[in-house]
Amino acid sequence: MKQTDRPVRIVVAQPSVPVAGVDVRAALRRLGAGVDLEVVADAQICIDLCAAGEVDLVVVDYALAVHCERILKELRGDGPPVVVAIRDASDDVALDVFRRGASDCVALARDGEEALPVVALEQIRRFRAARDRGAAERRIRHLEQYNENIIQNMNSALLVVDMDGHITFCNPPAGKILGEDPKALRGRAVWAWFSSDEEEVSLLARTLSTGVSYKGAERIVIRSDGTPVPVGISCSPFFDSAGEKIGAVTIFQDLTEVKQLQSQVLQTEKMASIGQLAAGVAHEINNPMGFIHANLFQMAEYLTDLRQVWGRVDDLLQVVRSGDLETIQAAGDALAGVMREVDLAYVVSDFGKAIRESQEGSERIRHIVQDLRDFSHHDSSEHVLADVNQCLDSTATIVWPMMKQIVVLDKDYEDLQTIVCYPMQIKQVFMNLLVNAYQSIEAKVGESGETGKVWLRTRQRDDGVVVEVTDTGVGIPASHIDRIFDPFFTTKKVGSGTGLGLSTSFGIVKRHGGSLTVDSKEGEGTTFRVFLPVEAEFDGD
Amino acid sequence: METELLCAQPTLLVVDDEERILSALRRTLRREGYRIVTSESVHEALEILDARPVDLILSDQKMPGMSGLQFLEEAAKRCPDAARMLITGWTEEIPAEKLEELGICGLITKPWDDARLKEVLRQACDAVWPVANARVGTASAGSGR
Repeated sequence: MKQTDRPVRIVVAQPSVPVAGVDVRAALRRLGAGVDLEVVADAQICIDLCAAGEVDLVVVDYALAVHCERILKELRGDGPPVVVAIRDASDDVALDVFRRGASDCVALARDGEEALPVVALEQIRRFRAARDRGAAERRIRHLEQYNENIIQNMNSALLVVDMDGHITFCNPPAGKILGEDPKALRGRAVWAWFSSDEEEVSLLARTLSTGVSYKGAERIVIRSDGTPVPVGISCSPFFDSAGEKIGAVTIFQDLTEVKQLQSQVLQTEKMASIGQLAAGVAHEINNPMGFIHANLFQMAEYLTDLRQVWGRVDDLLQVVRSGDLETIQAAGDALAGVMREVDLAYVVSDFGKAIRESQEGSERIRHIVQDLRDFSHHDSSEHVLADVNQCLDSTATIVWPMMKQIVVLDKDYEDLQTIVCYPMQIKQVFMNLLVNAYQSIEAKVGESGETGKVWLRTRQRDDGVVVEVTDTGVGIPASHIDRIFDPFFTTKKVGSGTGLGLSTSFGIVKRHGGSLTVDSKEGEGTTFRVFLPVEAEFDGD
Repeated sequence: METELLCAQPTLLVVDDEERILSALRRTLRREGYRIVTSESVHEALEILDARPVDLILSDQKMPGMSGLQFLEEAAKRCPDAARMLITGWTEEIPAEKLEELGICGLITKPWDDARLKEVLRQACDAVWPVANARVGTASAGSGR
């Protein structure tokens, strides 16, 4: 852009045979070799050269007459300055060329040839200075517009407040999140949207009072219509050019969609796990259903048997009143006969057994359905105190029917302190780990009839609880171990895994302030270790 | 005399890791005239078959250590004349060709229909009982020598 660096370029328009005493070109040669002189005799060529740019000055011999007029007319107000050279200046001629737009006029015979280079240089200097000033102004205007465009078009909301928390600037996305016209926000106190309650002084208030910056915190903004909007927010103090703190700048994004998406991913992943388990659960329900169903039919038969016996008992009671010993004897024999026939002792004892077994079976179904209902629940928004052993065990109950053919399960639970958590999410983590353990063993033993082993171990530590899920499956190759928690990383064949199980689990455990780690040896097995702190701090609560 | 009486009854081996199922099947088949032997483990069931042949085998599909299909395949080696049937609460499809290939003559789903269960067993028994009778006959002839 620095045009001053390029050589000076002057277009000289004069007749191909200069009039005696007026040789503009010769006069300008005094400027030295650094000046690029281009001589033309035609107005159109001169105008074209100027239009192509980078011409600093046009010097026209007045003797070119109509060409001279045309050049003055075309270049007037737009393009390089035009100096007209004349032989003998009458004031009339000079005035005329000035009127027509010439920047200067030099009379060679009167002013001497030396005058022309001086005038030319002065015109070039003025022209270049004006052009540079114009360029600088254009650059500043461009920058201002550019910055303005950034602020207006950025996706994030930008808000500037003064030391009292009054809004001094805000862009359209900020207006959108706060539910107001951005222009109407200027001068209003920001606390209407960013609450500064006693319990949790807003980040903005803290930045204003202490000058500390905050990055990427999750908070709630209350829109003008009262809707709470989850936002990711950063705040920093705002200094003027003298370095004095005059307020705060805050940038925030609406996280509503992100939150919904996160919750959808969690739900999708959970449903995928449930899909895998549905068959197993059906089996676990079909078994008790099978024997309850069969028992009911048998109990109906037992009842028929008992009615038969009761019929004979009734007969006996009738004849007892008659007092006839023989008749009583006969009725007694008939009763004994029926009792033998229906195997009464067996029926009575087995009736009770059938009832107990069926009760136990229906209790088992109730339990499964309850576990399943717990599991398919959408996240409750509350974190609660929960027993991690219970979370682990009820999850294991759901997964067990799927694994039992090839897995021996070993449970080693220590008494655990209850912890603050989202139990459904924690169960989802356990489910993922158990399903992984099962699939890893399945990949190893296949249809060989061999079994693998899964250990569930829980331990109480001073600062929290540890749950380990260890399997004797195929293990994880060292080359994969750094990637297993990455979203969509999967080695399972298409359709059997979303690649989200472990990354989702990792996210859940992390949100609980805990950790999920892995130890694995290819070919020997894997241990996943979940640590959950007793008192987790949840983001955004 | 008791032995003779037992020999006159077809023997049914029922294998299921679920004790309650065994109990309910016993109840259901109480008056069907089978001598019923039950086992909760495939390994124990194979030992039973090693010790003596049976006429009918009804096995659950999903069991620890071995699937019902695998067990019935093993059982056929030990007791080739027995009619073998599968009972399953699992929802996965077991293709008919697979059953045919393994010579399995019946598939019952849990929860089962009592009448159908009895019918399947009766038909299977009718098919093998003469063979079993003949075998029992030979055995008696042998012991009578």
